[in-house]
Amino acid sequence: MGFSKLTETKVLLKQYFKDIISIEEGGEQRLIIDLQSKDITSMINHLKDFMDFKHLSMISCVDWPEENKFEIVYILTSYSKNIVLMLKTKIDRKNPKLQSIMSLWPQAVTYEIELNEMFGVFFEGNDRMGEEFILEDWDDIPPMRRDFDSLEYANKNFKFRDERKDKKIIREFISEHYDEWRKK
Amino acid sequence: MKTTKLYLGPQHPGITGNMMIELDVEGNKILKSKTHVGYLHRGFEKLMERRTYIQSFPIVCRICVPEPDVNENNYARAVEKLSGLEVPERAKWIRTMVLEMARLQSYLLWMGGQSGSMGLYTMPQWTIGDRDYLLDRFEELTGGRVYHLYVWPGGVRKDLPIGFKTRMLDLMDYLESRMKDYTKLMFENAIFKKRAIGTGVIPKDKALEWGVVGPVLRGTGIKHDVRIDEPYEIYDKLEFEVPTYEGGDIYSRALVRKFEFMQSISIIRQIMDKIPEGPIYNRIPNPFKWKIPKGYTYVKLESSRGEFGYFMASDGSEKLRRVNVRGPAYVHGISLLEKILPGSRLGDVSTILNSLGVCPPEMER
Amino acid sequence: MIDIKGILGPLSALKFLGKAPHTIDYPKETKKTADRYRGIHYNDVEACIGCGSCGTICENDAIDMVNVGFDPNKADTGFRPVVDYGRCCWCALCVDVCPSGSLSLTKDYVYVDDDPKKFLYVPGLQELGKVNIDSTDDLKELAKIEKENRPKLKEGERSWYQKDRTEGLLEFNRVPMKELPGSTRIKSFAEVVLGYTEEEAFMESIRCLGCGLCISACPDRMHIPDYIQAITERDYNSSANIIYENNPLPEMCGKVCTRQCETACVYHNRGDAVAIRWLKRFTTEQFDDFRTIINAEVKPLNGKKVGIIGAGPAGLTVGYYLRLRGYDVTIYEALSKAGGMTMAGIPKYRFPLDSLDKQISYMEEMGVRIHYNTRVGKDIMFDEIMDTYDAVFIGIGFHDPYDLGLKGEKEAKSGVISAVELLRRVNFGEKVDVGKKVAVIGGGNVAIDGARVSKRLGNVDVTILYRRRVQDMPADWEEIEGAEDEGVHIVPQAIPEEIMLDKNGKVTGIKYVMAEMVDDGKGGRPRPKKIEGSEKILPIDTLVGAIGQQADYSFLPDEYLFKTQDDEKSGSKKGIDTFWGRILVHGYNETTMKKVFSGGDMVNRTADAISAIADGLNAVKGIDLFLQGGKETKVNHSVTESDLDKNKLLDKHYKMKHENGKLVSVKLDLSGNIVTESVKIAKDPDELKKDVEKKEVNKSTDKANSKDKTMSYPTKNTNGETKKEEKKSKSKKKSKKKKKKK
Repeated sequence: MGFSKLTETKVLLKQYFKDIISIEEGGEQRLIIDLQSKDITSMINHLKDFMDFKHLSMISCVDWPEENKFEIVYILTSYSKNIVLMLKTKIDRKNPKLQSIMSLWPQAVTYEIELNEMFGVFFEGNDRMGEEFILEDWDDIPPMRRDFDSLEYANKNFKFRDERKDKKIIREFISEHYDEWRKK
Repeated sequence: MKTTKLYLGPQHPGITGNMMIELDVEGNKILKSKTHVGYLHRGFEKLMERRTYIQSFPIVCRICVPEPDVNENNYARAVEKLSGLEVPERAKWIRTMVLEMARLQSYLLWMGGQSGSMGLYTMPQWTIGDRDYLLDRFEELTGGRVYHLYVWPGGVRKDLPIGFKTRMLDLMDYLESRMKDYTKLMFENAIFKKRAIGTGVIPKDKALEWGVVGPVLRGTGIKHDVRIDEPYEIYDKLEFEVPTYEGGDIYSRALVRKFEFMQSISIIRQIMDKIPEGPIYNRIPNPFKWKIPKGYTYVKLESSRGEFGYFMASDGSEKLRRVNVRGPAYVHGISLLEKILPGSRLGDVSTILNSLGVCPPEMER
Repeated sequence: MIDIKGILGPLSALKFLGKAPHTIDYPKETKKTADRYRGIHYNDVEACIGCGSCGTICENDAIDMVNVGFDPNKADTGFRPVVDYGRCCWCALCVDVCPSGSLSLTKDYVYVDDDPKKFLYVPGLQELGKVNIDSTDDLKELAKIEKENRPKLKEGERSWYQKDRTEGLLEFNRVPMKELPGSTRIKSFAEVVLGYTEEEAFMESIRCLGCGLCISACPDRMHIPDYIQAITERDYNSSANIIYENNPLPEMCGKVCTRQCETACVYHNRGDAVAIRWLKRFTTEQFDDFRTIINAEVKPLNGKKVGIIGAGPAGLTVGYYLRLRGYDVTIYEALSKAGGMTMAGIPKYRFPLDSLDKQISYMEEMGVRIHYNTRVGKDIMFDEIMDTYDAVFIGIGFHDPYDLGLKGEKEAKSGVISAVELLRRVNFGEKVDVGKKVAVIGGGNVAIDGARVSKRLGNVDVTILYRRRVQDMPADWEEIEGAEDEGVHIVPQAIPEEIMLDKNGKVTGIKYVMAEMVDDGKGGRPRPKKIEGSEKILPIDTLVGAIGQQADYSFLPDEYLFKTQDDEKSGSKKGIDTFWGRILVHGYNETTMKKVFSGGDMVNRTADAISAIADGLNAVKGIDLFLQGGKETKVNHSVTESDLDKNKLLDKHYKMKHENGKLVSVKLDLSGNIVTESVKIAKDPDELKKDVEKKEVNKSTDKANSKDKTMSYPTKNTNGETKKEEKKSKSKKKSKKKKKKK
C-alpha cells in the first residue's frame, strides 16, 4: 500500500509551502497546520483550487491573552480526500487584521462578521465588516474575548432573587462557617 | 412596480424560530433578502469557558431544541478526543441509537412544519402526536423528554431500562406503518408536489461552494454523508444507504428525508438486534479537577439537517479554552437563504425555511 | 396531466374519522412519568453530610447551602442544600456527584405557584417559605414527618439516584497500596508498605473533592485538600511546604498517623476514603532533604530560652516552631534517638529506624538543640531546668506499662515482658529471646505490634488472647488483617487467669478461660462473661502484656506536684495538677504551674502522634504569648501574598502555584499557621486562662450571630423598589432598541 491520503496531503503541502510553521496529524482524518498570517489567503486559495478542499466548515477564533494573540482557525473539508484541515494562524491581539476570504465562499462573510463582533478581528476586503450580527448597541469590549468577564457583567446587569442576594461561593461559605477550620 | 421593505419575524408562524428576515419585495416577488439573528443569543460558548468539562455538559444540549442529542454527542466526542478517554462498546451502540432516535423525531417535527407551512394542517397533528411516542421512549431511557442530558464524556449515563428493546421495536413497527399515511397525505399530495417541485432550487454546481450540507445537499444529487465519510460511533458496523435525488428543490429534499426516515428505523432495528452487553461508561477522574491536555479538535456528525461540528480548544486546565459550534443552519439560514430567496415568491419563504432546516438557536448559540 | 393519485390520496385520511384521538385522554389522566424522570429533588437530610459538592458542581448556581438546624460535627458541616427552581435545569449532576448518595430526584413534576419563595426548596424538608426555623428540634422533627409522609419514596419514587458505587461521577475505590506478602514480611523488619508511585499518587489525589471535611477531624487541622491538590498538580514542593506549615514530622505522620481525617472523608460513607496518609507519605518521599525545599523563615534569637522535656512528637513540634519564632530551644531526651513513642513503640516494619532522621536533622539544622541520653531526674534535675529556662514544656508520653494483675505475675522471674518494653528493646537493637511460643494479652494496636514483632524474632508461634470478639478490638483492622496474614493466631473471648511457672520462676504457660458475650443491659457494648469449666492452658515461653500504659512522673520533685486545696490556700507554691494520670492543662496547654506547659499522650485523650503535634502547636502559641507579654511573633512560614490575575481569583479554592521558588496561594493563611487574634496580654497562666475563657464566650456569640445570618434566609429585600425601577428603565431601553431596528 502506498501513502494514506492523509500522509500524501501532508507531504504535498510541505512541498508546496515552505513557510509552514508546523503540520501535524490530529487524529484520524485531521491535519492541524500552523501558518503565518500573511500566507493564509494564498494557502486557502491553493487548497480550494488545486487540492479539492471545497467545503468551508468553520472559521473560528481562540483568544490567548497571555501571549497577546488571537488564533484564527479555518476548518476546511475535502470530500474527495475525506480530510479535515485545521489551518491556524496567530495574529496580534492589539491590531487584529486579516485578509477576508469572502470571495471564495459566500458563507465566510457570516463567520467574519461574527468574529469581528465577538472578538474584534478585522477582515480586510469584507465590505460588510462592522455590521451588527448578534449584538445590538454593544458598548463594551467584544464579549468573546477572554478578558470580558461574563460573571461580572451578569452580576452587574442581573440580580439574584431577593432571597438569594447574599449568595456566596459554596465552598467558601462552608469553610467560613464550619468549625473554623481554615483559621488555624 | 414599487419596492416594499418587509420584515418577516422575529415572531411569525412561518419562521422556524425567533429570527427576522428583511425582505425587499416587489409585489409577490422577492428581490433581496437579509437574515437578522440575535433574538436567541444566550452566550453558551462563553458560558462554557467558565465551567468545568462536566459542568458544560448540561449546557450543550440547549443549543438546538429539535435535536439536542447531536450536541451532546459532539461535545462528548470532542472531550473524549482531547482527553483520550475511551468509551465502552455498548455505550457507542446506545449513543448511535439515541442519534437515530433524534433523527426520527426531528424528521417528524420537520414533516409537520413542512406541510404546515403549505397549509396542510393534518400532518402536524399527526406527526407531533407520533413524535410524543418517541419522546416517551426518550423519557424512559434518559429521564428527560426534550433535553435528554444523557450522553456524557465517557459514555452514557444509564443503561437501557428493562423491556426497552421490545417497546422500541414496537414503536418502530408503528412508525413504519404510519409512513404509508404520511406518504398519501404529504409526499404524494398534489398540493404538496405543486408547491414543492421547482421551489427553492439550489443549483448542483453551486451547492458545495455555498456550503450546503446534509439532506439539502443530497437533494441536489451530491452524495455526502458524515456517517459514511467519517464513520463515528459504530456507523461502520451498520448497513445503510445514502439516498440522493436530483433536482435541488424542496421536493427532492423531502424525498431524501423520507428515505432517511425509513432508514433510521432500519438502523435502530439493527442496533436492537446486535447491541452487545457490557459497561456503559468510563468514569472521568474527578468532576471538579479533571484537566485535559492542551489540544485542538474538530468533531462532526450527520444531524438530521447536515454536518454538525464542534471545534474545541483546550489549554491544559480544568476548563475549556474555546468551543465553537457549527450548526448547519449557520450557513443554511443566513448566506444560503440570501442566495436562494431572491426570485421566489413571498408565500414560499416559510416553505423554503422549513426545507432547509433553519434553526435560529444554533446560529447564535 | 392531472395528478389523480395526488388529489385522491390525501382523502384516505378520512378513514380516521370517528376514531378516538390518541393524544387526548378522556377522562383526563395525570401522566405517569417514567422511572427515570428527573423531577423535584429529594434529600435524605439524615444521611446528607453537607459537603457542598452538589452546589459546587451546579453549573447554574441553583444550589445554596443553608443551616436548617443540623449541628455540625466532625463529618457533617450541618448545612443542607436548598434548590432554587428558578435556575435549576434538572441535569441531576448534583445527584451524580453526591458522595453520601443522599440526594436524589423524584418523579414529581415541577409545581406551579404564585409565590416565588415557594421555588426555593429545601429538598427533604419543605419549601423554605413554610419552614419556621426556630429550633433544631423543629426541623429534625419536620424532616422525619416529611419522610413518613412519602411512603413510596424508598420503593420507586426516587427516579434518579446512584443505585450503587458503580453509578455516578465518583470513584469510590482507592488506589491499592502495594505491600510485601505475609510470608516475606515475617522474615525481617523490612517495611511492609511500599508507597505509591507517582502515577498512583496522582490517581489517588485526583479523587479528592476538596470539600475539606477532613480538616475538621484532624486534631492538627492540617490543610489536607490543599496539599492533595498540589500533588494532583504534581507540585510536590508546594505540597511539602503546605504540610510543614503545621506539622514538622510529616514523614512520621505519613507512615503511622491514626488518620482520623480518613474517617471523616466524604468517600468513607460508601467507599474507600481518600488515602490521605499515604499521599502525605508520598510527598515526603519525594525529597531526600527538607532543608532545600521548605521556605521557612527563621527569626533571629530573641534571648528567651525554652526547655523541653521529651523529644516526642509534641516536644519536637514545640522545639521547631519556637525556634522559627526566635527562641533558644533545648530538648532533653532520655533515649538515644528522638521521636519518643513513635521511635520506641512502633515496630520498624511500619516505621523504619531512619524514618525520622530527615526531619530531625532538618530541625537540628534550624537550631533546635537535642540532648540525647539525658534523663531528667537522673542526668539533669527538674529544678535546674526550671531555673535555667523562661518556659518549660513537658512532653514525656506514656512509657510505663500497666501490670497485668494476674496470679503469678509478681512471682515470675523471667518470661513476662510488656509489649512496650519488648518493642523498645527490639527497636533499639537489643537481642530479645522470646522462646518458641508467645502469648500476647490485649487487643489494641500495641498488642498487635507486640505479636507481629515477636513473629519476626525467629520461628515463633504467636497467639493473641483477647477478652472480647475480634470486631471489638480497638486495633486498626488493617493491623489485625496484617497480623493474621503473617500467621498470628487470634483467640478472642479468652480471659487470662493465671500465669503458670516452673520452680525457677520461668513462665511455662498461661491458663485462660473462654467467655461468652452478654448484653450489659444498658445498651452498651456486650460484656464478656466467663464460661465455667472452659479453662484451657496454653504452653508458652513468653507472655507479652499489652493492656495499656501510663506516664512516669517520678522525675518531678515532690514540691512541683499539685497538693491539696489547703496547700493552695496556705499560699505555698502551686504545683502541676494531674487527674487520672494525665496532666491538667488549660486553653494554651499551660499547666496549673506558672511557665510550665505540657502536651502529648499524658495530656490529651486520643493519645496519638497527631494530637501530640496539635498540642505542641497550641503550646507554641501559648509560650509565645506568655514570653512576649501577649504579643505574638509573626512568622512567614511558607506562604507569601501575591496578586493573582482576575480569572484565577474566581476559583479561590484551588489556587496555588509556585512563583520564584516560593509558594503562592490565595486561600491559605498568610501569616503562617498562627492566626493573629487580639488576645489581651496575660503573664500569669491564670489570667491567660481567663482571657481564653472570655475569648471562647466571644466565639460562641460570634457563632450565634453567624447562625442568625444563615437562618434569616430568605430575607426581605430592603431595596426592592429601586431594583424594580432599574429593571423598568432597562426594559424600556431594550424596547427602544428593537423599535429602532424595525
